[in-house]
Amino acid sequence: MKRTLIGILAVGALGLGLGQKTLVFGHNGEPVSLEPGNITDGISIYVQRQIYDTLVDFKPGTTEPVAGLAVSWFASQDGKVWTFRLRQGVKFQDGTDLDAEAVKFNVERWWDPKNPTRIDAAARYEIWPKLFGGSKGEAGSLLKEVQVVDKYTIRFVLTRPFPAFPAAIGSGYFGIASPSAIKKDGAKYGSPTGSAVGTGPYRLVEWRPGDQIVLEKNPYYWKKGYPKTERVVFKIIKDPAARLAALKAGTIDFTTDIPPANLKDIESDPNLNAVFRPSFNVGYLALNPSHKPLADVRVRQAIAMAINKKAIVQAFWGKLGVTDGHFTPPSMKAYQSPKVTDYEYNPQKAKQILAEAGYPNGFDLELWYMPVSRPYFPTPKEIAEAMAADLSAIGIRVKLQTKDWAAYLADRRKAPGFQAYMLGWTGDYGDPQNFYDPHFASPITDLFDASGKPLDLKELNDLLVKGATTSSAEERKKIYQQVDETTFELALRVPIVHSQPLLAKRKNIAGWVPSPLGSESFETIEKR
Amino acid sequence: MWSYFLRRLVGLVPVLFGITLLVFLFLKLIPGDPAVAILGERGTPEQVEALREKLGLNRPLPEQYLAFVRRVLTGDLGVSAVSTIPVGEELKRRWPATFELALAATLVAVLLGIPAGILAAIRKNTLWDNLSMSLSLVGVSMPVFWLGLLLVYLFAVHLHWLPTGGRLSTEAGIGFKPLTGFYVLDALLRGDFRLLADVLAHLVLPALTLGTIPLAILARITRSAMLEVLSQDYVRTARAKGLAERQVILKHAFKNALLPVVTVVGLQFGTLLGGAILTETIFSWPGIGSYIYEGILNRDYPVVQSGVLVVALAFVLINLLVDLSYALLDPRIQYR
Repeated sequence: MKRTLIGILAVGALGLGLGQKTLVFGHNGEPVSLEPGNITDGISIYVQRQIYDTLVDFKPGTTEPVAGLAVSWFASQDGKVWTFRLRQGVKFQDGTDLDAEAVKFNVERWWDPKNPTRIDAAARYEIWPKLFGGSKGEAGSLLKEVQVVDKYTIRFVLTRPFPAFPAAIGSGYFGIASPSAIKKDGAKYGSPTGSAVGTGPYRLVEWRPGDQIVLEKNPYYWKKGYPKTERVVFKIIKDPAARLAALKAGTIDFTTDIPPANLKDIESDPNLNAVFRPSFNVGYLALNPSHKPLADVRVRQAIAMAINKKAIVQAFWGKLGVTDGHFTPPSMKAYQSPKVTDYEYNPQKAKQILAEAGYPNGFDLELWYMPVSRPYFPTPKEIAEAMAADLSAIGIRVKLQTKDWAAYLADRRKAPGFQAYMLGWTGDYGDPQNFYDPHFASPITDLFDASGKPLDLKELNDLLVKGATTSSAEERKKIYQQVDETTFELALRVPIVHSQPLLAKRKNIAGWVPSPLGSESFETIEKR
Repeated sequence: MWSYFLRRLVGLVPVLFGITLLVFLFLKLIPGDPAVAILGERGTPEQVEALREKLGLNRPLPEQYLAFVRRVLTGDLGVSAVSTIPVGEELKRRWPATFELALAATLVAVLLGIPAGILAAIRKNTLWDNLSMSLSLVGVSMPVFWLGLLLVYLFAVHLHWLPTGGRLSTEAGIGFKPLTGFYVLDALLRGDFRLLADVLAHLVLPALTLGTIPLAILARITRSAMLEVLSQDYVRTARAKGLAERQVILKHAFKNALLPVVTVVGLQFGTLLGGAILTETIFSWPGIGSYIYEGILNRDYPVVQSGVLVVALAFVLINLLVDLSYALLDPRIQYR
């Protein structure tokens, strides 16, 4: 009897098997919404990326813009008007046509708070104003107008030059959705009970919350021969340990967000491969000049010199991190100055500099570490302890501090701010502006000068404004290389690591090229 | 009895009010602003302010509390701050998952715990007694998370006997439309035994994980209740009459030992509803426990407030039912 029971259960567990026609992805959370432009979480975007295309795409595995729904684009002489030529003959998954009107419909929806098709109960759409200075009607709004030139040409009129516009409008947030589907579904659009219709490789079949999302091949997909697999199932498994177990058991084929500590486990499993996502983040130590010793740039540089970053990265990330002194990740090499090589680890010299600056006996420093794990700092407390040990070697007496995450985030902005704290950033799109502006554009709202005012760095700020508005790509590279040098010398935020998120797959999965930008199309993936 | 029932029911009102107040205050005691937590490291001060406004966090505390109670009284459980999905809708969708799991766990506990306790009592101080009591001690002290993962690695990853998590396998889940939300029932209603096997296979490990602690508690309670009853005169009389031991144990002793056991079963079932948080997380079980857990992580106040309120309501109602069931077991208990 017992044997029969186990037999029945085992049949139930193994079922028919899905064969090569279905990819099962172990997803690390439930999407908030499948409506583009309305949310910012990577969990939602990852699913959206399979359903929607963006105007601009990126070369697989890089941040380099390539043709997406737009085949070409160019800026006017003054850099304020961007014209995009759309791909012809593209259909949404509901059979309607993609044209300039459809694109305009989507843009108006993201940009204009008064747009009637906005689901205003939610009132999110916060990513548009974040990336483009403001919504319609607001003073800072980068967009002035969006025009349909002809059926396949759309034009964006800006209030100021913005060379990063194609990269920004190509970010995963801005998938182009079918206007007729949105009008039909209203507030339900993008929710588990509504539809989600784009032009991407897969179309949404069903979303059972907390369990799984089923996508099937889009019969209208414009890229011939793709996607390679008939069906994708996103299986929602939030707990990382459970996700790894499901991968080992073969319940899922590939997955994301594996804790770095599991790398060895994956590498030693004959059925699995570790997959590395190119780094697109920075974890840094912020040094706040409002604390008297840190007001002296020499002291900040001495700290940068005293922390053995290579050893720390080796210890806490192993293969999963690099440290190079640049604030931008390695995938943005074009904008990095060849002159910037990281401060050599040299406690002796650091101690000497500290003495020259007037602190031969060191000083007390409160170092705040985050109470939560983030891709750039998976184990903040341990990393903070390692840094504290290095600093104590040059006489700086570190007191480790932390507090609740929300309070941590809020209090770092309250004058005089934390003396030193750990934080990081993951990019939205492949442009240095997206890394530098939130951290160094004046006034810097989380670092303060000696009098307790938000830090204002005129020269650097001028440089950033110039970088943000210069049209010439070559010119911009030079400007940001200069920004790289300046921020490196200022040592207000000491880059500790660019970490690579760890992904994993079963051996029989081929064609998966993770994007540094956080989500990639599954169209090239197949099961062998 | 009916008037007793009604009085008890009315008595629940202040209790539930107390719970709303406690939950509300506890959430307020957590340091930090939920608006900041929701927006994370990327939120600008202006965005934080806008979200505070939207979430009503700018208003005075009593006003926020009254607004919450007023909404609950009209049956509106609020809207998740993260997903903007109405909390009531989500709870309605999720409760069958939690209920089914709690029921399965209770079954595990009752079917294994009570016999183990009875056996331990009648074979007092034997190897069996010591073994089962030691095991029950291990069961009570075992961290749920650890036990769950241990079971997954043993039965799912290595032996491939059972699935690692979820309520259904991927393939069975494609196109599956729940009727009642209780998947066992759904499978039976459709007469689909393949689906039933799939559902049951998915239930085994989480039910075992969740049921271990109540199992251990039940075994101990049953043992001590039985021991007490077995030493009573009427048991001795029954034996003296020459009744078969089986009859003595089950008819005379166990029936009378049942009272404390039922209390514990009821209480444990109530705690299971709320205590499923870790189990649901390990097994990707889309129930109320994992919903509240996420709500806490995300500082999603409406989710936590209303989620806890609903669980508390279930808990007090079950307690009420337990109290009422006493009458059936022991006619000497009077309702007043």
